[in-house]
Amino acid sequence: MSPEQFVLQALNGLAIGSLLFILAAGLSLVFGVMDVANLAHGAFYMLGGYFAYSLVRGSTSACFRTSIDFWLALIVVPLLVGAVGFVVARLLLRPLRGRHLEQVLLTIGVAIVLADLVRACWGGETLSLPAPRGLDISIAVLGEPYPLYRLFLIAFGVVLAIVLWLVQERTKLGALIRAGVADSEMLSALGVDTERLFVFTFAAGAVLAGLAGVVGTPILGLTPGIDETVLILSLVVVVIGGMGTLSGAIVGALIVGPANTFGSLLVPEFALALIFMVMAAVLLFRPAGLLRR
Amino acid sequence: MSKGSYRLSRRKFLLASSAAVAAACAPTSGGATPSVGAATSTPPTPQTIKIGQILPFSGVYTDLGNSMKRAADLYIKLNPTIANRPVKLLYADEANDATKAKTAATQFIEQDQVDVVMGIVPTPIAYALRDVFHNAQMVYIGTNAGGDWLTRTAGSIPNQPSSKSPYIFRAAFSSWQISEPIGEYLASKKGLKEVQLSYANYGFGQESARDFTEGFRKQGGAIKGDDVKPPLGNSDFVSFVQQIKNNPTKATYHFYSGADAQKFLTTWDQLGMKAAGYVLFGAGFLTEQDVLENAAAAKAAEGAITSLHWAVTLDNPENKAFVDAYQKEYSKLPDVFAVQAWDGMRAFDEAVKALKGETSDKQKLIRALEDVKFNSPRGAFEFDKDTHNVIHDMYIRQVQQQAGKYVNVIIDKVGRVTDPGK
Repeated sequence: MSPEQFVLQALNGLAIGSLLFILAAGLSLVFGVMDVANLAHGAFYMLGGYFAYSLVRGSTSACFRTSIDFWLALIVVPLLVGAVGFVVARLLLRPLRGRHLEQVLLTIGVAIVLADLVRACWGGETLSLPAPRGLDISIAVLGEPYPLYRLFLIAFGVVLAIVLWLVQERTKLGALIRAGVADSEMLSALGVDTERLFVFTFAAGAVLAGLAGVVGTPILGLTPGIDETVLILSLVVVVIGGMGTLSGAIVGALIVGPANTFGSLLVPEFALALIFMVMAAVLLFRPAGLLRR
Repeated sequence: MSKGSYRLSRRKFLLASSAAVAAACAPTSGGATPSVGAATSTPPTPQTIKIGQILPFSGVYTDLGNSMKRAADLYIKLNPTIANRPVKLLYADEANDATKAKTAATQFIEQDQVDVVMGIVPTPIAYALRDVFHNAQMVYIGTNAGGDWLTRTAGSIPNQPSSKSPYIFRAAFSSWQISEPIGEYLASKKGLKEVQLSYANYGFGQESARDFTEGFRKQGGAIKGDDVKPPLGNSDFVSFVQQIKNNPTKATYHFYSGADAQKFLTTWDQLGMKAAGYVLFGAGFLTEQDVLENAAAAKAAEGAITSLHWAVTLDNPENKAFVDAYQKEYSKLPDVFAVQAWDGMRAFDEAVKALKGETSDKQKLIRALEDVKFNSPRGAFEFDKDTHNVIHDMYIRQVQQQAGKYVNVIIDKVGRVTDPGK
């Protein structure tokens, strides 16, 4: 592999890593605050992707028939998915408060129901969403054409990471979330309505998954099963980086994205195994993840 | 009013609303995902001929499955009876999943007691179901999966026993038929000396690459560089197309099909491969009509030379009639998968006619199928009596623009290509 090729492939890895970061940030947030691994996170991603597809393409779904701009979808779709997350948290998870295993099992159920609803609404075909106008071109990187959208995705991930970090460190909401991660019982004793915080956190996680669904679809496309693919990868990211920390999601994504890209190029039969081997090694030597305090 | 009952009513509301959503969506799924259960709900009359079709209605090959279903439906619409017996088509979704396909096949054989099974798109699934058909003595007419091994004897594929079965016919093609002749053709007629390979990394993609290599080397060509092999159903092709640039030649041979082919060609366009001087060759599925429906993929494919046993532009009366009927019914051009499903139906139809509708004796049905000969949209069609694989012409085609549409135009032909069978 020539140095130019290496750089281009590294960019691909970073673009996927950026997408995985957005996913893992949501997953990690929910786990940190609620102590629940949200296994419907991939389904929320898928829902975001299909919503974006229908809203932007404005056709081929029996359930939706409108057409809006990609950039508008980038705002509307995460809110829609967030609303779904809110409903799930408020009506399904809340009655099971404190029973974490049951809550996790419930999210599996939600994932299956959502996957089937998506299948019923959009069918089983592989669908693709083109990159938005202006970003659908290729620009020269080291003399080779490179799709601009991927560079946008990397930048988007970086900006989002900064925004999320500012929210976490500099706002009252961020303080509440950090306190929830550290000790939610104490937080409750201090007079904070942790039930509300949980519902809000879960919805916020869904918003992030929906956001990932919109920005990820022009690259990954939509097909039944994409929910499981992204769920597994983002779980690996969170396990490697450490549950419940934003920096963990960043580090995990920076490892898994490039590992996935280079793995599938250099050892195609072994790509997924490579990622899981990294995860197994982290679990052996740093069971709580690389950055978990 | 206690808090408990308040929440209960909300749960009821949720149940009711989610049921409403499900109901709103459900009717639309009927056409796209036919279920076995629905088809078996009415007991058929004793004389009805039942044809079980195992096709992908989800996953990477969904478009192929839908296309083949359209062709089979059209065949029955135009030929409602076979030898005066009414015909019933049963469909099951194989979903590119061997377990699901096995369940479907077992249900067709044991519960529905079909007269024949057709379909199956991915090669690994046909391989997985080979024993199911053979052991149940169920006649299976393959209408897509082209893996060589399915109709071959021991030794033809390294470390594999014989797969050949009297019950297995193939109306589609074998990988060897698609890939070996174009290998020879490019080296001998086009003067191509070296080429690099990229293919979907699964059974059929690997076979296609191997068969192409066999033909290409036979005529003095050489394979250069490292093979580029993304997994089947790959989601992101950018890194793989970039890898092609690592290899020392700009002549490239590919095997991709369905959604993979579309994504691959779209990426080819995005990365400016044509402008950089790269030339596309491939197994015909790379540029089949289902792929060319995508504008970016069609643009990238313009000029590509591929080989296949059919092209929409093929000039014969059967093809004209078929393309017209298909277009009239569905307002779109058929693809090769539709032709294969159509020919599977036609071959079975001809055999049953020859038996005057008597399908209960499997051995007689097998003899009758072996003797079937007809003019298909692809040209002369017959089964090889030895292997039960189809014998047909292979067409060398080039993607060109005609009246604003991208189509495969036939530029040459390799006559009566027969799979070696061993």
